[in-house]
Amino acid sequence: MHRRGVGLAAFDRKQTTKRFEELSNSISQSQVTHLNNQLTQFRTALTHFASTHRDKIKSDPSFRHAFQQMCTSIGVDPLAGPRKGGWWAELLGLGDWQYELGVQIVDVCVSTRERNGGLIEMAELIRMVSKLRGVSGGSITEDDIVQSIKTLEPLGAGYQVVDISGRKMVRSVVKELDDDQTTILGLAQEHGGRVVEDMLIQRRQWSRERARTALENMLLRDGLCWLDDQDEEYGRAYWVTSAMKWEA
Amino acid sequence: MLTTMALSTHTTSTGFLLPSIHSAPPFFTQQPNPATEAIVIEQWTKLILSYARHRNLFYLRVEDAETGGDWDEVLRNDRINRRLPPTHLSSILAGMVAKNVATYEPAKQTRSVLLYWRLPEEWAEVLHQWASTTGQMNTIMTFYEITDPPVNSPLTNIPLPLLRKAITILAKSNRAQIIAIADGEGL
Repeated sequence: MHRRGVGLAAFDRKQTTKRFEELSNSISQSQVTHLNNQLTQFRTALTHFASTHRDKIKSDPSFRHAFQQMCTSIGVDPLAGPRKGGWWAELLGLGDWQYELGVQIVDVCVSTRERNGGLIEMAELIRMVSKLRGVSGGSITEDDIVQSIKTLEPLGAGYQVVDISGRKMVRSVVKELDDDQTTILGLAQEHGGRVVEDMLIQRRQWSRERARTALENMLLRDGLCWLDDQDEEYGRAYWVTSAMKWEA
Repeated sequence: MLTTMALSTHTTSTGFLLPSIHSAPPFFTQQPNPATEAIVIEQWTKLILSYARHRNLFYLRVEDAETGGDWDEVLRNDRINRRLPPTHLSSILAGMVAKNVATYEPAKQTRSVLLYWRLPEEWAEVLHQWASTTGQMNTIMTFYEITDPPVNSPLTNIPLPLLRKAITILAKSNRAQIIAIADGEGL
């Protein structure tokens, strides 16, 4: 019995293979050798560069950024590769570095989640991660955080960088912010954290009911804001903690 | 235009550094969301114990939230026009008692607590230390001599109920070489 695939298709495969053989024969052996030598040289140079500058890459954020840009432009992904963390990672310990940062980001987000409802300002996150790392950790930039969160994304933990009224925040809960909440958060940021029903009515033309429901949901159901019942103007104001800055 | 309210710390006239959360208006309101309120209670607990240690205060009463007095610097923030209402304070005190960092004193009421900014076990150690360094081991002392010594000690003004607890702890571990008699009462 003949197997499927024998016939025209198989004939094509045979043709293609033959063509490749012909091609490889036309590239002279010396050219292949030369190419291999160049690749080896290149790899050696990169290895040397990486180990010489390992410490600087770890401690200097702008150098680190430039290095990552270089990798991208020559088509090398510092984190990819068959080995865990990739070849670069082995050399630089970069995989570990990224991993460690990722763990620290998660640490900060989880421990502040009750306070801010799972939404933290980028600057605040950087500050707290830096504290965790101490002096020996080197300085961490927004770019580092963004890169690190990119690597967390496939883990499905819901970590995302979001932009609210031009302010970068990191969201660490899976729940999508509904549009009304995003509006309230934006308003809060414009007013140092404080929002009242009347702001939404006057500035966004909401009905009182809509304003009240949205604010009360944020307060009671989602824990995204705190209540101030001694507010001089309206007696009841809502403070969005992620728009407030305070020292722990 | 973005404005941020950077909450700042503040040093009081008695030299106590109030944390920045104390400058946040909502900090004084009892939060309806239980998870949020748990954080608020935790922060107030830290603040109260810290302040008590700083000023050597031992008692906190629900009424302290209303009347002026030793606790004003903490229970109110006049810069932002906020005060901690008695109901909220009462709830915070209950939390502190549940955590064993305070106890209702006198017993069987819930308006006044004795603060353990130092635990009774720690006070026992302080007492033992003081007695040995002032050469008063194996002597008989009145309570008064402990709470009001001629030279100020860490035990100066310690309330009697707390002193009694400390002595009981020392007695249990058989390190009480101090026999204290309060005005004719024997131990």
